[in-house]
Amino acid sequence: GDSGDGETIELRAATGLSSQHAWWDATMVPWMDRVEELTDGQVQFETFTGGELVDVPDEAEATLDGTIDVGLILPIYEPDQYPMAEVTMLPLAHSDTLIATRAWNRLLTESMELQDGESYSDMQFSEFKIFPTSTTQEYSISTTGHSFETVDDVEGTSLRTPSRIHELYSEKTGINSVTMPAVEMFDALSRGSFEGSYYSIADWSGYGFQDLFEYTLTGINFGHFNAFIGMSDDRFDELPENVQEAMEQAAEEVLIPGGEEWLDRAEEMIDYNEDEGGEFVEFDTLDQSVQDHFNEGIEETWLEYAELLEDQGLPGTDLIILWRDLIIEEGGDVPEALKDIE
Amino acid sequence: MDNIVIIAIILTMVVVLLMSGLYIHSVLFAAGIIGLIMLEGFNYLPGLLGNESFRRVASYTLTTIPLFVLMAQFILQAGIVRDVFYLVNKAARGRNSVLGILTLSIGGVLGAVSGSGTATSASLGQVAIPELRKHGYSGRLAGAIAASGGSLSGIIPPSIILILYGVATETPVGALFIGAIIPGIIVLLVFITVMLVFYQVEKKRSSQAELPDEEGQLEVHGNQQVNLLRLFVVSFAATMIMLVIFGGIYSGLFTPTEAGGVGAFVAFLAAVCLGKVNFQFLQQSLVETIKLTGMVMLIMIGAQIFGRFVSLSLLPRKLIDLLEPIMEQPAIVLILISLFLFVLFMFIEGAAVILMTIPVLLPIMNALQVDLLWFGVFVGIICTIGLITPPVGLSVYAVSGVSKIRSEAIFKVCMIFALSALAIVCGLMILFPEIATFLPSSMD
Amino acid sequence: MVAIEKAYHIFEKIKLIGVWISGISLFGMMLFIVIDVVLRNLFNSSISGGFEMVQNYFMTLTVFPALAYVYSSGVLPKMDLLIERFQDQVKKLIIFFMIALEVFILAIMFYFSLDYAINGFERSMSFPAAGTLYPIYPFLFLIPLAFFLIVIENMFILIKNIMFKEPSFLFKGDSTQDSGE
Ligand code: NA
Ligand code: NA
Repeated sequence: GDSGDGETIELRAATGLSSQHAWWDATMVPWMDRVEELTDGQVQFETFTGGELVDVPDEAEATLDGTIDVGLILPIYEPDQYPMAEVTMLPLAHSDTLIATRAWNRLLTESMELQDGESYSDMQFSEFKIFPTSTTQEYSISTTGHSFETVDDVEGTSLRTPSRIHELYSEKTGINSVTMPAVEMFDALSRGSFEGSYYSIADWSGYGFQDLFEYTLTGINFGHFNAFIGMSDDRFDELPENVQEAMEQAAEEVLIPGGEEWLDRAEEMIDYNEDEGGEFVEFDTLDQSVQDHFNEGIEETWLEYAELLEDQGLPGTDLIILWRDLIIEEGGDVPEALKDIE
Repeated sequence: MDNIVIIAIILTMVVVLLMSGLYIHSVLFAAGIIGLIMLEGFNYLPGLLGNESFRRVASYTLTTIPLFVLMAQFILQAGIVRDVFYLVNKAARGRNSVLGILTLSIGGVLGAVSGSGTATSASLGQVAIPELRKHGYSGRLAGAIAASGGSLSGIIPPSIILILYGVATETPVGALFIGAIIPGIIVLLVFITVMLVFYQVEKKRSSQAELPDEEGQLEVHGNQQVNLLRLFVVSFAATMIMLVIFGGIYSGLFTPTEAGGVGAFVAFLAAVCLGKVNFQFLQQSLVETIKLTGMVMLIMIGAQIFGRFVSLSLLPRKLIDLLEPIMEQPAIVLILISLFLFVLFMFIEGAAVILMTIPVLLPIMNALQVDLLWFGVFVGIICTIGLITPPVGLSVYAVSGVSKIRSEAIFKVCMIFALSALAIVCGLMILFPEIATFLPSSMD
Repeated sequence: MVAIEKAYHIFEKIKLIGVWISGISLFGMMLFIVIDVVLRNLFNSSISGGFEMVQNYFMTLTVFPALAYVYSSGVLPKMDLLIERFQDQVKKLIIFFMIALEVFILAIMFYFSLDYAINGFERSMSFPAAGTLYPIYPFLFLIPLAFFLIVIENMFILIKNIMFKEPSFLFKGDSTQDSGE
């Protein structure tokens, strides 16, 4: 597109996710609509979803190399490029979509120093102009019926692990991890190949899991997946000032409503699943020894993740402290032992 | 240059290059690359072309292609299918039409263990075509039977297309699978009927040309002396392979994708038990599989690049904008959409079509209040049919690749299979949507 | 022509190495999946990162090394009904045109997939599996290599068509197909 003042600016926006995905449908589309509105139609978006133009997780690269102008970036899928992105996946004692969204927004946009005068965004996403989106709802453990009455029920259970952090956590708690493409999961789970998965309830409908899971552990939190709307810095700098301002204003406006969409979707899924006979079990009703077992795993996972980053010369400890403080300041909580790390 | 002009130039180019005999994959590569250059200039090419080959090939789901073909190769090289066909033929007492029905039905049964129509067609092509031809089928009819029988895997669950659709539209994949069962069986019945008509016509024609020689053909086969013990062992081996695959998938021991690997391994063990495994056996099976896999992958990469061009040209959206005035008539819109999809599936590999049209079709389906589960099965059927239509019919190319029968010859017959299935099955589904929705809703 | 044939002979040896690599990894992929299934069912734990390794390592190794061999094996489909009806000279003209087009697109694919591989090398591109990062970038070079070998194959076909009167799509072997009647 052309960026001269007054002329129409055509921007190409893409995601590998489906057009029904909450991030696209409830954040990026409203954001684009709002930008068009605020600029009186000066900016127009041409959109591509579902891997039509760019596959998951190539959005970041496609944005930077100019294949697309705006991308929905999912940095957790590329731990080789963005090793510090997984910090939001760390398990927590308490939080919800909005708490995590506010914390993620602050982590990305506030200039808190992490290392050598650089902030988190400087270190990981320096080439991007970032418009934060909400995080997902928290991840839960759901199974096709297997319940956690004793520590023995936890150890040896096979769960699908969607990220590196979940692998670490499973290892710490004696859970067997199964890796499998998400599209294969419904089939394998419904035929009993393994017991369950870490997954966010709001996201179940993507693969039909609302018909499948029978037991879900709530009140303990296995992290939040994150994303942001990204442009390359260069492309953003070419835009006229009023357009830049419109984009920033629109991003602020859609952030929280986008997060609320996850809550609505989760509620819908829970109602549906309960009607089908699904059970939602609160973490604090579990046997104390089981609770302790899960909590110890959380603690060890944080420390191991920090160590993993430190080994790469990254400020792992400072990062987890920063994330812990942001989460607590925004109203969330972590297990007691983590509060002592300095 | 205007998009419409570019689209016209590129589509003309596709037809001309195909007609002049350029390799299919090269036609797709050339049309895609030149189209992208015309649309975008050279600047966008690195992002659009650089990672495409890797992304296409590095897919767990696509392991079904080499592994189910490998399974077929092991079964074929061990002589199992030849003997099974002989058995059935004996039981049919020389009524050769039974062999065609058998092949199509085996295609349907294999469809229940394989997610990919292309892989199943290649396997069927390898084992069934030589047998069918021995029993009086013309090469093109035998090829069409193998291609269309194999294409059934595209719709009979598990189905890669339905999985892609389910993911793109957030429709439960399990419900889609159940919904596809009855329409899948109807497609099979249509194929069988058309095949029988063709067979009768060919039989009449050849009996006018020369004396019927069925007796002679049987004798030739009889000379091969299949003894009873061997028949028993072979049927036992064949049954075991089927049981392991079905039992394994439906009891949850492994997923339909993993079934490719397990199936190949069990077939390998069967060949070991039959004493067939030696260096040559391995070499032949592996090399044949690699040839076919390479061919399918090259076409898939080409189709993907061509698909990127089609996406960027906004061709699907432009076509759909044209539908705006007739939105009041859902049935007409659906018929038009199915024709449109049919044409796209003729030219482009199925998964690519799903990926590029769903974002455009979904809002229309929602506006028309069409049941997304029904629509998924409907698209799945059209896609399956697309596997056997020219110019891009992967099932036919797979069969042509393994049998060396000209793809044009197979396409001529397959077009009749395809048009009959399109008219009958899609017509029935529009008139009686319950065909797809009844089973899933009764399972709730 | 003898020199060319000798050169082609060496080229064929190179392609055969590719076939060996692909064949072994195909068989290996089968065994790997079977072992994974057995482990999951008998010992309740699968190979860590199994599916990621299958798709990134086994699939790339099964497909790309043998691609040049596949290309010259005559298995690749085309619609050749029309061209068969032309005179040899017209046929040859079409073949020259097609080789030029083919080399053009293959060179483009070679260039951009090499670009992608170098880029992946610089970023030491890896895939996450089972809590670990596995390097993928060395395998990315198989792709430009495959396209490069196919360009070479086309050069041989070009030379053959220049040196002989008879038009031909392949350097060696028979590409004629059954008419299906
Ligand atoms: Na199937
Ligand atoms: Na087709």
